[in-house]
Amino acid sequence: MIEIEHVLKTYRGHTALHDLTLSIPEGRIFGLLGPNGAGKTTLLRLIMGVLRPDAGTIRLFGGLAPGVLEATRRIGYMPQQLALYEGLSVRENVLFFGRMYGLGGAALAARADEVLQRVELTARQSSLAGTLSGGMMRRAMLASALVHGPRLLILDEPTAGVDPLLRLRFWDWFRQLAAEGITVLVTTHHISEASHCSEVLFLREGHILERGRPADLIARYGTADLEAAFVQATQRALPEAAALMNGEGQP
Amino acid sequence: MRVMGWIAWRVILEIVRDRRTLAFFFLVPVLVMSLVYLALFQDETARIAVLARGAARLFVYDLERALEKQKDVVLVPLDIPDDERDPQKLRTDIEAALRAGQADGVLYFEESLLAERFAGKRGTLHLYLEGSRPTLTGLVASAVGDATDDLAAALPVVIDSDCSAKCANSVNVKPLEVAKHYLYGSEDYRLIDFFLPVLLPFFVFFLTFILSNITFQRERVRGTLERLLIAPLALPQVVLGYMTGFLLFSVPQAGIVLVFLLALIGFPVSAAQVISLCAIALLMLLIALLLGLLVSFAARNEFQAVQFIPLVILPQIFFSDMIWSIDRFAAPFRWFAMLLPLTHANIATRDVMLKHQALWQTWPHLLALLAMAGVVLLLLSWVGRRHRDRVG
Repeated sequence: MIEIEHVLKTYRGHTALHDLTLSIPEGRIFGLLGPNGAGKTTLLRLIMGVLRPDAGTIRLFGGLAPGVLEATRRIGYMPQQLALYEGLSVRENVLFFGRMYGLGGAALAARADEVLQRVELTARQSSLAGTLSGGMMRRAMLASALVHGPRLLILDEPTAGVDPLLRLRFWDWFRQLAAEGITVLVTTHHISEASHCSEVLFLREGHILERGRPADLIARYGTADLEAAFVQATQRALPEAAALMNGEGQP
Repeated sequence: MRVMGWIAWRVILEIVRDRRTLAFFFLVPVLVMSLVYLALFQDETARIAVLARGAARLFVYDLERALEKQKDVVLVPLDIPDDERDPQKLRTDIEAALRAGQADGVLYFEESLLAERFAGKRGTLHLYLEGSRPTLTGLVASAVGDATDDLAAALPVVIDSDCSAKCANSVNVKPLEVAKHYLYGSEDYRLIDFFLPVLLPFFVFFLTFILSNITFQRERVRGTLERLLIAPLALPQVVLGYMTGFLLFSVPQAGIVLVFLLALIGFPVSAAQVISLCAIALLMLLIALLLGLLVSFAARNEFQAVQFIPLVILPQIFFSDMIWSIDRFAAPFRWFAMLLPLTHANIATRDVMLKHQALWQTWPHLLALLAMAGVVLLLLSWVGRRHRDRVG
């Protein structure tokens, strides 16, 4: 589904991604984990074709370059911000984004019904987006990212500011989507919730620290949860981080 | 009190750290004030040419000296053959010179002037006026009026039948009559008639630019613009989509301005002129929209976007031929003026409204506006790409 080989990306002398090689199979929930500035969003933008790598190659859907129309049409994106048109209703937002991906007519209306039902917003579909709570807005954003039937769903911090119960619901939906064959690429710095992913990648300062299934990583580091495993991985890779942790009385 | 201090500290720190905003903060007023100074500093000067035929040439020297004493006028030569005597041909040549912008007024002494004076009449001077610029027309008329008073003293004295030769030199000097001929407009043109038509392109530009600048800035902050840029769309599709949406509001808005102006304008306006005005306004709408988008992309935050508004709008008020004629500016400023879209829109509007030209006759200005729209679109795609890179 996504093949990344030796990708390097720098911004004004700062290297955001160092020689990154990665393969993401279809129908998985793939978590990109790391603190702010780890390179997660840069990697997402490279995959979407918004940015171009300084070196290396990225191939999507069996050989398409990022940014080409064929690839862009198959990608759904949900950014970190509450990026909805507040003056439009939930349904109008979903329909608008569907039209931006070339959908229309009865097919679009049916798709809108389907995705609104999936995120449980059918009852609020006529409400103006600006009047919704943060959690509802996130659900509406997910619906508008799904309306054109993407094969790759890119979610940048999709559960930021969402209450714990709804957060669990979101992960249910992601699992359903993966079961339908959609690849879900999700970034989060809430590392504990990434245990819902089929596979995760620990990123730190543009380097891959670790990759594997959450349960395997927890077992490998002998920790209680994924967050502790991430801390261990960081300490091993970056001695200065370990020193900092130890100085603060951490194990 | 302490809280107030901390709030001030926070504001100062944030502005100081945003170097571009800081530069804008101080550069914008300096730049704008310099432009105001340059615009106001240069006095308007009208150009007058003097033509005489036959014996009337004897008095050209006196009249030219009298005109030279007048403020805000300069004498210019005209390329009209000295021996041309056919009054119709002469009139055509004078009008051609005025149309070509060689002078703002031409004072013509007919051969018959002296004969009229000797016959005891006041004698008539003919003043041909370009007429589309009330300030210049006013300067020419006033300078000629004052100069002819002086000239009348130098001309042969006209003696009334009831006045003896003795009194002639002291009191009995009759003023010359000045017959005015307008190339454009008439004596009824008011100063306001000159300004009213160009308010349409100005308002269209001003309001659409602000609307587009703020809308895109809002979309950028909200993240919806990013979603659009990531969708399988070409930038021109996005721009044209926005333009169509804005048109629905900008066109009626321009219509309201137009109706208001037509009600105030003191001369009759034809349907063709209204259609031409609408076409010019539409072009301004396109440029304002594109510029608003460009500025919105170039600005890194709302603060910078707002600072761009005076930077884009004010030079166009002072240097676009709207209030002051660009002809009187030094060459570099005239070139600068020609880079401003409103200059071309204003010239085209006045050509249509005051000079009764057909829209196609203003093609150099329409072409300039289209070329500017093209350049802004190119810049937009470049800045758009940079913007997308910066988002990352």
